[in-house]
Amino acid sequence: MTVLIIVIVIVLALLAWVAYSYNRLVRLRNESEQGFSGIDIQLKRRADLIPNLVESVKAYAAHEQGVFDEVAQARAATLSAQGVAGAAEAAGQTGAALGRLFAVAEAYPQLRASENFKQLQDELTDTEDKIAAARRYYNSVVQAFNTAQQTFPASLIAGTFGFSPREYFRLEDDHDRDPVAVSF
Amino acid sequence: MTTTATRSRSRSDVTLQQQIRANRFRTFLVLLGFGLLSAVFVGVIAVAYQPGVAGLVGIVAIVYGVVSWFAAGSIIASASGAHKVSKEDQPEVYRLLENVAIAAGIPKTPDLYMIDDPSPNAFAAGRDPEHAYVAVTTGILKLMDKRELEGVLAHEMSHVRNRDVRLMSLAAVLVGVIALAADLLMRITIFGGGSDEREGGLGAIGIAIGIVAAILAPIGASLLQLSLSRRREYLADASAVEITGDAEGLAMALAALRDDTTPLHTVTRATAHLYIESPLRDHQGLRSSLGGLFDTHPPLEDRIARLEQMGGFTLPAAPAARA
Repeated sequence: MTVLIIVIVIVLALLAWVAYSYNRLVRLRNESEQGFSGIDIQLKRRADLIPNLVESVKAYAAHEQGVFDEVAQARAATLSAQGVAGAAEAAGQTGAALGRLFAVAEAYPQLRASENFKQLQDELTDTEDKIAAARRYYNSVVQAFNTAQQTFPASLIAGTFGFSPREYFRLEDDHDRDPVAVSF
Repeated sequence: MTTTATRSRSRSDVTLQQQIRANRFRTFLVLLGFGLLSAVFVGVIAVAYQPGVAGLVGIVAIVYGVVSWFAAGSIIASASGAHKVSKEDQPEVYRLLENVAIAAGIPKTPDLYMIDDPSPNAFAAGRDPEHAYVAVTTGILKLMDKRELEGVLAHEMSHVRNRDVRLMSLAAVLVGVIALAADLLMRITIFGGGSDEREGGLGAIGIAIGIVAAILAPIGASLLQLSLSRRREYLADASAVEITGDAEGLAMALAALRDDTTPLHTVTRATAHLYIESPLRDHQGLRSSLGGLFDTHPPLEDRIARLEQMGGFTLPAAPAARA
């Protein structure tokens, strides 16, 4: 009798632990998916700003066709990108192309002084800040998710139920702020 | 060094969940404490006066409790003189708040509230992340640059994310009311209102009420202490660093708050714990008379030191004038 009770208690405890670990992994997986769609929203927003930006630069520097093509390609890549790595690659490409576009704009003081251009530039800066913020969130959730899968004994649950690690969102030229140690 | 730094970059997922759970439990305690104290209050009135009055007070307490749950944020906003501002009014601050919300993984950016006060301070309040708001004084906008302000907003966002806001808001409106109720009881005792029909009984009843009031007030204060440990400010600082990745920015913000001595105008004992820095300055009576015992916040020096340790930097020392 006593033995039976002990066995039942142990089994129940085990089940509770399995349920807890499983739910935690599911929550982290959902959070990382949300985190990625958060980045995606901002990347799309940036892509939406591009046509107007190109138009306003074209008005002053129509002959810089090479840069415009490059920006258009990067924008198309952003809109058709698949998965985290694809989105990250397109984002890097867009960042570089926009950098060159602004370098062109530098040479036209009238363009830089125009209200429309200033506003677009402002919105673009804001979007880029938001992309950085969304990446920071996504990468930290992914780290928590991946760590949760790899650490024993939760790794047993992750293996059994087919959880797999997620990719980080990394850009080619990663100038993110230095990581900091956080202790509680 | 690098490995530990990189590893601990990750959001402390377990810690966050623990905090949320602990806050739920503490919120429950605050509600329970409010219920029990209201019951005692009603009981005393029933014995001392008439059951009818007691029933009325009981209903008022229940209504107050329900209203507090849903409207704690608005009550606090009006008590502290904060009013909502739109993105158009304060585009830069609002964008910063949006960015911090994104980095914290909060889907809906909390509303932005402003307090017209030259004293630099900030707080967050509300029922849950969807109904939360972050309030800043005009003074803090004047005092801080973008980077420092981002640290402050991230600190407030951590309070929102780990559900500190609900606990702190409820504590303000539920526990804060005890001081008020105790005050009221004392006044009834002194002026003997409502006991005309019971001649001679006033003395005994008065003493009883006086004793109850004397018991209630410190219970209220301890409850506030119990539910709001000072540890949460350190935790919010640490989470803020996770959100912005910039320990130095927050440390500089705290240093700026430390070096500023403008007192906040509209503040009560009940709302003091909400702010990023204690709005009750050293030279003000309430705080100095109680010593450090009832401080709602750990010293800024301590908080700065911890941030310095996290980020591996050192800020210039405080101006000598303050020592």
